[in-house]
Amino acid sequence: MLQIENLHAEIDGKEILKGLSLEVNAGEIHAIMGPNGAGKSTLGYVLGGRPGYEVTAGSITFNGEDLLEKEPHERAAAGVFLGFQYPVEIPGVSNVQFLRESLNAQRAQRGEKPLSGAEFLKLARAQADALGLQHDMLKRPVNVGFSGGEKKRNEMVQMGIIDPAFAILDETDSGLDIDALRIVGDGINRIMRRPDKAVLLITHYQRLLDYVQPDRVHVLADGRITRSGGPELALQLEREGYVGVGAEVAA
Amino acid sequence: MTLDLPSNREEAWRWADIGGIAAAAVLAPIARPDASFLDLPGAKLLFVDGVLDDAASDLHRVRVGDLTPGTHALGKRATKGWSLHLDEQAVAHPVQVVHIATGGDNHVAAEIVLAADTSAQVVETFVGAGWSNRNTRITLGKAARLMRAVRMTQGGGFVSIRDEAELGEGASLVATTLAAGDQGVRIDAAITLAGEGGYAEYGGALLTRDRLKQECAVRVRHAEPNGQSHQLWRAVAADQSQASLAAAVEVARHAQKTDGEQSLRGLLLHRTATVNLKPELEIFADDVKCAHGATVGELDARALFYMESRGIPAPRAKALLTEAFVADALDRIADETVREAFAADADAWLESAL
Ligand SMILES: Nc1ncnc2c1ncn2[C@@H]1O[C@H](COP(=O)(O)OP(=O)(O)OP(=O)(O)O)[C@@H](O)[C@H]1O
Ligand SMILES: [Mg+2]
Repeated sequence: MLQIENLHAEIDGKEILKGLSLEVNAGEIHAIMGPNGAGKSTLGYVLGGRPGYEVTAGSITFNGEDLLEKEPHERAAAGVFLGFQYPVEIPGVSNVQFLRESLNAQRAQRGEKPLSGAEFLKLARAQADALGLQHDMLKRPVNVGFSGGEKKRNEMVQMGIIDPAFAILDETDSGLDIDALRIVGDGINRIMRRPDKAVLLITHYQRLLDYVQPDRVHVLADGRITRSGGPELALQLEREGYVGVGAEVAA
Repeated sequence: MTLDLPSNREEAWRWADIGGIAAAAVLAPIARPDASFLDLPGAKLLFVDGVLDDAASDLHRVRVGDLTPGTHALGKRATKGWSLHLDEQAVAHPVQVVHIATGGDNHVAAEIVLAADTSAQVVETFVGAGWSNRNTRITLGKAARLMRAVRMTQGGGFVSIRDEAELGEGASLVATTLAAGDQGVRIDAAITLAGEGGYAEYGGALLTRDRLKQECAVRVRHAEPNGQSHQLWRAVAADQSQASLAAAVEVARHAQKTDGEQSLRGLLLHRTATVNLKPELEIFADDVKCAHGATVGELDARALFYMESRGIPAPRAKALLTEAFVADALDRIADETVREAFAADADAWLESAL
């Protein structure tokens, strides 16, 4: 589904990704762990096409297409969803308006009919219920005044409504209370665990992986994948740290 | 034709597009554009180049005739126009005025006099091209209420309005102006809270593009205690245009417990555009609450990427963020039909400018 080869990317002239290669097949969930500042969020932003993140070498192929050729909104319509580590507040634009515009823009790009207001509301309410987000939060401006945990839940409500083929979830577990962690974990499984979908789960801790069992675990350090393994690698990292598994940044 | 116009050297006219007014006054004739009234009951007045079109108008309580010109540099040119006088306890339907310009200059005066406890709503729309110049005098009796909404959607030329309002005890004026056309604009107002406990909201949104210059120059005077005023203006400037917001609050020595707010915010859609902000406070009383904020910025790049990453194309994402920016000002319009019509004009402008 996703092939990343020898990816080099820089921000403001500073190289952050330094030859990263990764392959994710349909039906798989991959976890990415790694020290602070290693480049995990950068990888998410490069996949999403954020302006200012310049790819200087390498390639990203998504379902056989060159992802780097596409504008950010075209990547979304192609099925890529980016769950933000820090979801953005948008004063003056309601969640409902934002999500309906988003979904209908994607549908239009795929040549599908837009959803009516009523159809959309039904879908949005069902997803909010499934993630325990109060209905009145759908009417509020996007993320404005939401608590840290509510913002992350809102990201998952968005994912449920958009129903993407591929999700990059950047520390979706941080800021969640114990119950919310389980609800969000269940949500990821419900929305994304399908033979035709895949997930890249960026996380620092094992606890989310207890709910969302990864097929593969990778360590991203200093802009590269330095170790890959099965689910047991995450447990080993939790016990021994990055230094313990020999995946620390080379001096 | 030589026009006797003010000079930019005068502080009150510093950002006025005097050249734009002179050029608009000599615009060649254009075909009369279509204009329609909103679906509201009440009076409907259609002025074409400053002359009432009787057949297309329905005056209700409004009268048309000579009015005393004031002393304002532009407003004094208007000697004829319409007037609405409401006596005590009267209930009136809204008054809609559509101004069509088909080139050249036109001048219309207006007088709105509301007796105690009466209320009125006035909605004005400008279309066409040319210099449309208006002078409106407003007198509100005790606890009278006026809601006024003005939209400037000419395809070319200039619209200048001068409002002079005097509010009696507990009277309320809520005025919202939207400039969303391709014309230069000057909104010039002097509002006096002459009775105790008056309430004035005077604000709106200026949307400029190309090389247009639009401005507001508003002064609110609190002459008596316990008054409240809010001047909330939003300016969006694209291309090489210039939007200027000058808002002053004056609080007289014995106008204690005054609450005066100014919120002036500019949004630059391109770095070649200019927004000038000038909030002014002249406070002679000691027990007052006056808050003012003035900021100029650009669209939030993080919010734009967030929206694009959800599938919204960049121009639409920009339009949504800009609409949200302008909405603060247009949300002040209480009547839903009017508010939605104004918002649609703003949206149409944004869709074509972005
Ligand atoms: N505009 C910028 N200019 C220079 N360096 C930047 C810029 N933005 C980010 N960086 C750097 O890029 C590096 C990678 O950041 P990134 O956010 O991808 O790390 P991360 O692996 O997600 O870390 P964390 O676990 O803390 O979320 C960091 O060292 C960061 O300081
Ligand atoms: Mg990060």
